[in-house]
Amino acid sequence: MSEVAVISTFGTDQECAHGILALEGAPITEFRSFSPFPSEHVMEAVDHVRAWGRSPVRYWQLFGGITGVLTAIAITFGTSWEWNLIAGGRPIISVPPYIIIMFELMILMGGLSGLTGFFLHSRMPEYDGYRGYRSRFSEDKFGLVVHCEESSAARVEALLREAGAEDLTREILEQAPAHH
Amino acid sequence: MAAALEQDLEPRYIDVDRQVQRALAPGGLTYWMWVLFCAFLTALGIGFWTNQIYKGLGVTGLAQPTMWAVYITNFVFWVGIAHSGTLISAILFLFRSRWRTAIYRCAETMTVFAVATAGLFPLIHLGRVWFFYWVVPYPNERYLQPDFRSPLVWDFFAIGTYFTISTVFLFTGLIPDCANARELSTGWRKILYSIFSFGWQGTDRQWRNFQMVYLLLAGFATPLVLSVHSVVSWDFAMTQLPGWHSTIFAPYFVAGAIFSGCGLVLTLIIPMRRFWRLKDVVTVWHLDNLAKVILLTSLIISYSYLVESFMVWYSQDSLELTTFHYRYFGPQGYLFWIMVLCNCVIPLLLFSPRVRTNTVWLFVISIFVNIGMWLERFVIIAGSLATNTMPSQWRFYTWHITEAVITLASFGWFLMNFSLFAKFMPIVSMTEMKEGIAWLRQAIKTSYPYRKAA
Repeated sequence: MSEVAVISTFGTDQECAHGILALEGAPITEFRSFSPFPSEHVMEAVDHVRAWGRSPVRYWQLFGGITGVLTAIAITFGTSWEWNLIAGGRPIISVPPYIIIMFELMILMGGLSGLTGFFLHSRMPEYDGYRGYRSRFSEDKFGLVVHCEESSAARVEALLREAGAEDLTREILEQAPAHH
Repeated sequence: MAAALEQDLEPRYIDVDRQVQRALAPGGLTYWMWVLFCAFLTALGIGFWTNQIYKGLGVTGLAQPTMWAVYITNFVFWVGIAHSGTLISAILFLFRSRWRTAIYRCAETMTVFAVATAGLFPLIHLGRVWFFYWVVPYPNERYLQPDFRSPLVWDFFAIGTYFTISTVFLFTGLIPDCANARELSTGWRKILYSIFSFGWQGTDRQWRNFQMVYLLLAGFATPLVLSVHSVVSWDFAMTQLPGWHSTIFAPYFVAGAIFSGCGLVLTLIIPMRRFWRLKDVVTVWHLDNLAKVILLTSLIISYSYLVESFMVWYSQDSLELTTFHYRYFGPQGYLFWIMVLCNCVIPLLLFSPRVRTNTVWLFVISIFVNIGMWLERFVIIAGSLATNTMPSQWRFYTWHITEAVITLASFGWFLMNFSLFAKFMPIVSMTEMKEGIAWLRQAIKTSYPYRKAA
């Protein structure tokens, strides 16, 4: 049996969200939604069907922030110990001014680390593109690409049409080996 | 989109694309003449700076005790300008203020180029610029310890972090818009937008991660923006110079920075919406809200001026009293009063809704705000240094042509970069405009019912 991609186009985000919810329990192998902006309706529907939690990018940011603070502690304390010059009778290790360096490096490394996490988890850069993507999905339409067995494609198309799909096309992804 | 609003029709997503595409259309003769003029100013500045490097700082008016004057004024001015960008993009994002959508990209772009311009002045200010890397606090063989107790070292970390995070914030927000522009373009522009969109397709996974990173970057940028200008203010407040040694400086500088930055956003966006026909994307409603922020921050800094003066009178410190006497009534006292006029009096016109919705008035007021805030930094920096604790050293700073041309060139450099960026990258966020399109329509209709009636 061949695997096909059912590519559906929706005019509004609510219709697209209905399409995603309609896929719950349907005989599909994978689906991916596309939208020109981060629609609450679409994201909630995806979260419902996929049971996704919050993005793991936040851990990257936390890790980067902690690394930044530790780096700042190492730099400020380390250089003060190495060049232990007493200036104006102040202590060698003056913590209050070092907090500023810790704060700045926390922001810097947290931000850069979060960006790295964003690229990795979003699988970017990816210049080849996802099969089934249409340029209008970045402009004014919402898309839903569903992978399923060819035998289930008609049922999936019926579900999506019922949800409000404006346009439906089918692409063969993988041809099943011929039987002799 | 305007037609849709006027006729009470539902504006479509494609209308946003069309509007922003206008700004991305190839520039005409006027645009390129403007860019060339800015490039000429920049080149002139480079010429004068080269002369300064060759002959030394003697070609400027910088001399003891006013070694910090126009160059450091420019540094503080441009860092201040940068602040409203982060206010509009990050802080208003966290507060879910939707009026930011049409103007935040412009403000963010302004932030990045303003910090890049500010960063030049510590270098220009150096007598021997080829030793600029000594500014970088690193352990070295000259036994110059990086003193982390020095505000100048804090400044290095604060400005470096601010520039990096502002750039990351700008380019992260640009990714979905570049993908949108990629689909609408052909030729070399398509290649350019493809590179900057990093293969973005707007999938659910991408949006989920994008929303998280954008939210966290906004969360990081918010305390950062407050810290950066506080650190800049401590360059002055940590010294014991009369006129500088004040605990009010941090909030006073932050409010002033937002005031001046919002002023420059108006100065940039009003001609842009006119010449690139963005009136339907950047509406009067957006400008009205920006004007309200300017009015609020103007009141804050007016209050700061009063409190600062009151504290000097209340302390009865003779050095502080003398400095402030010269600030108000000294040979350069007129600069202080022009500053008060520009920063405290003229912005009061913004109490009038008619002024706030009139682009000519707004543009004129924004120019006064820019002048006033530049003068504020000059009065604080050069004025306080001129009357230091040693009356035998007193000397008021006078301009030479080198500083004047380099100051002018900094505006040329900033405007050239901004104009080029605005022509080649989406200067209005198409993504966020589409997200809030229905909300925007409702807000405009309820805010300005008379427009429709008219």
